[in-house]
Amino acid sequence: MSQITGEAYQRRLERLAAHPAMANDNVTLPKGSWTGAARALIGLGVAGLLMTVAGAFVYNAKHAVASYSVGVLCVTAISLGALFWTMVFHQTNAGWHATIRRQLENIMMNLPLCVGLIAVMLIVELASGGLLFSWMRPEYADSPLLTAKRSWLNEPFLVVRFFIYAGVWTLLATKLYRFSVDQDRTGDRFLNNRARFTSAWGLLAFALTTGFFAFDFIMAMDFRFFSTMWGVYYFASGPFSCMAVLLIVTGMLRLRGRLTGVVGNEHVHDMAKLLFGMNVFWAYIAFGQYFLIWYGNIPEETAWVVYRKQGGWENLAAVLAIGHFLIPFLILLLRPVKRHPALAAAAGAWLLLMLVMDMFWLVRPMVYTPASGLKSPGPGAMWVDLAAIVGVGCLWAGVLARRIASGPLIPLKDPRLPEALDHRNYV
Amino acid sequence: MSATNPDRIISERLAGIVSGAPARDPRDDGSLNDDPAVRPPLVLNNRSFGEVTDIICGYAEHTPGKWWLPMFLLAASVAGIGVTMILYLIITGVGVWGLNNQINWAWDITNFVFWIGIGHAGTLISAILCIFKQKWRTAVNRSAEAMTIFAVICAGIFPAIHVGRIWFIWMVFPIPNYNSIWPNFRSPLLWDVFAVSTYATVSVLFWYMGMIPDLASLRDRADRRLRRAVAAGAKKRLPDLIRAYVFGLLSMGWRFSSRHWHRYEVAYLILAGVSTPLVLSVHSIVSFDFATSVVPGWHTTIFPPYFVAGAIFGGFAMVLLLLIPARELFSNFKDFLTLRHLENMAKIILVTGMMVGFAYSMEFFIAWYSGNEYERDAFLFNRVTPIWLSDRGAPYWWAYWTMITCNVLSPQVFWFKKMRRDPRAIWVVALLVTIGMWFERFVIIVTSLHRAWLPGEWHMFFPTPVDMLTFAGTCGIFLTLFLLFLRFLPVFAMAEVKAVLPQASPHGHDDHDHDDHGHADHGHGAAHGSGAHPGGHGPSHEKEAH
Repeated sequence: MSQITGEAYQRRLERLAAHPAMANDNVTLPKGSWTGAARALIGLGVAGLLMTVAGAFVYNAKHAVASYSVGVLCVTAISLGALFWTMVFHQTNAGWHATIRRQLENIMMNLPLCVGLIAVMLIVELASGGLLFSWMRPEYADSPLLTAKRSWLNEPFLVVRFFIYAGVWTLLATKLYRFSVDQDRTGDRFLNNRARFTSAWGLLAFALTTGFFAFDFIMAMDFRFFSTMWGVYYFASGPFSCMAVLLIVTGMLRLRGRLTGVVGNEHVHDMAKLLFGMNVFWAYIAFGQYFLIWYGNIPEETAWVVYRKQGGWENLAAVLAIGHFLIPFLILLLRPVKRHPALAAAAGAWLLLMLVMDMFWLVRPMVYTPASGLKSPGPGAMWVDLAAIVGVGCLWAGVLARRIASGPLIPLKDPRLPEALDHRNYV
Repeated sequence: MSATNPDRIISERLAGIVSGAPARDPRDDGSLNDDPAVRPPLVLNNRSFGEVTDIICGYAEHTPGKWWLPMFLLAASVAGIGVTMILYLIITGVGVWGLNNQINWAWDITNFVFWIGIGHAGTLISAILCIFKQKWRTAVNRSAEAMTIFAVICAGIFPAIHVGRIWFIWMVFPIPNYNSIWPNFRSPLLWDVFAVSTYATVSVLFWYMGMIPDLASLRDRADRRLRRAVAAGAKKRLPDLIRAYVFGLLSMGWRFSSRHWHRYEVAYLILAGVSTPLVLSVHSIVSFDFATSVVPGWHTTIFPPYFVAGAIFGGFAMVLLLLIPARELFSNFKDFLTLRHLENMAKIILVTGMMVGFAYSMEFFIAWYSGNEYERDAFLFNRVTPIWLSDRGAPYWWAYWTMITCNVLSPQVFWFKKMRRDPRAIWVVALLVTIGMWFERFVIIVTSLHRAWLPGEWHMFFPTPVDMLTFAGTCGIFLTLFLLFLRFLPVFAMAEVKAVLPQASPHGHDDHDHDDHGHADHGHGAAHGSGAHPGGHGPSHEKEAH
């Protein structure tokens, strides 16, 4: 089939550049904007983390580490979600996403930061001899369940695996980001094909690393527990939460008078549909996992769940069922909500809160287990959790804000940009 | 400006400016385009609306060729053998199958899950790909939906006949009765009844509703021919009389009015929305049949999405298995089902194949990681290790390795562009995948059951000829129905195919011929979008360029 000539494509790019929606002040933020906000967010983040350290001394280190882990797992899920969507959109030759892809890529480029945050988590675990990762503790060394899986759950191999996850994520994110940024400069449309190929093997590498990361950094906190769905369960938090952040980011840019005619309500509609759909996917996976454990009713699986259905944690589980699935499902089913930038972003913000609740429900019950001998200080200690989660979130958001302000808000020369500019939902 | 003249392509072709049917290169039919700036055509050879109608209605109005009748008779005979076997089973009892006390589910449930899985591709194409606005689905949706229904028919046979006393099958429905025998609502087998019957109902509705405009076209064409025949005094009127009557009934008064179309599009979207969770729920519930039981190899949490991915995988393989030969057997079929379509489906095979591969490895890893010796044994030894390698190995190792080879290894050839653009290679892989997916269910069901907790319960399963002929019979039923569909109904969704033709675009379309001819090109949308879009309309110099 005919390709169009380079010359004809150049003309198309020139016309695209002359498109009123592509005017410079529509697709870039003014120099120096958002720096104050970014600085404030990063400052807030550092302050939150310092408070978390203080919390470790006021209460106990385990509590602080768990709260920090909740935050890290949340922002990692969002960043992985962005990597996932970028690759899926490349893989499927999507047209409509061209105008939102740069923001996805910006979120995705927070993965190196996440890797750093995870590294801190890992170092603390290794140094403390397993505050949360109970399998590191000497008192379980002779547990038959642990010796059976010792060749997986051991410190050197965990470090090796961490480097594999970190390497794969950083490589994929930077590679895809570079393709996109290079295209802004050179206008080489065949970079899309290279990004597509990277995404093909990238999705495979992504699935394996995300799955095993979830095993190693969440499931293995209780080494007795196992679930084949676990990797999918953690993955399922990424796509919807990333769409939530994307809706908020594009909404804020539009409030600044940017992206007029570039990211319109048609795009909002589609992002909100994906937010809705992937949130239902999360519910499907979460229900499937819970249901099979409940129905099978064998102690080695149910012990983990039973512990999260008592001592107040059952309330959080109910919040998840209602707040993470039922209410957003009923609200996001409505077309006007999905097409309203502010409402869709608000729904996204709510689901981000639910993401935190979900990770909290997974990790935090690990702290004051009967075996730990620690006594829960009660709800008064919640400020540590708040400080850690908000701290990590603000740090992450500040770094994101800086990157957003530093360059064009959309890929300027993507060959599918005309399609995205003209995107519409007819029905 | 060419964009304002939707008939330009047709008029140019009629005037001989653009050739209507250029010589085709079998390896590149014009749909394989790696330029990200150009969307390849979804229908080849610049077909006009009228030609699309003529070609697609033509399939339903004429005998496809000499191959059809012998093939139909063969398929119908095999179906007849299958029906005979089922009757023999009902008269004699399930003892005619190779089941035994330990392996009380074998080929029957394997075949059930196999067929119900085949159906999923149809719903995925018609519902999920519709929601994702994947326009290429128009080439395959109608036949895939038909296939869904035929596969569900085949699937429904097995649970019904495996109960033994089929005259009590009504007990699966929660009908009040005097003996107070109520179904167990906690049994996933009962949920199966609801899930599969809902799925069948919605699939039929979806298929039928989507077909109404096309049936009306067939009705109108038969009617027109009939009137001409009456006017000319021709004798041979009966076939068209039957068509006008049957299609007239089935098209429910469709008059192609814009109001009809509006309702149709809304209804289509609603059905797509309803069907999407159905695709997930049906096979999730089928997976619950196994996963809720505490049997090593059955009870694992990844089963629901793993079964759904496997169903889509097997379903797409079946779509390819049927449509690649159809491409060769029907004239002009390749204009609608291009190599690009095949390539897309090959990619889906690769993706879903790796999803099931992911699930296999997760099962395997967690079986080891759990430290549970029964779980470990079920995977590491019962499935994987050949009995001649270790005395802890199992006799069904070959079934597991057949599954891995067919489902995980064989689709890997689609990493190569050459392979996913070669219909023959795709067909071979599709065949292997179909075999592999049958074996997947066999491995899950029989391998897990044949080694129970106590060695005293260990048994082998050997299929009897009745087992085999019943399965062959369902293949016959499936093929018979599909051949009838090919012969009498519109194989492509005509109205939807027309909607993806370039001349259907209200704002004109990229005309890349012009680029090649050295004219200035005009990018889609950016140059001539709709006025409703804030930045849609191109600046005025755009228009001067043409």
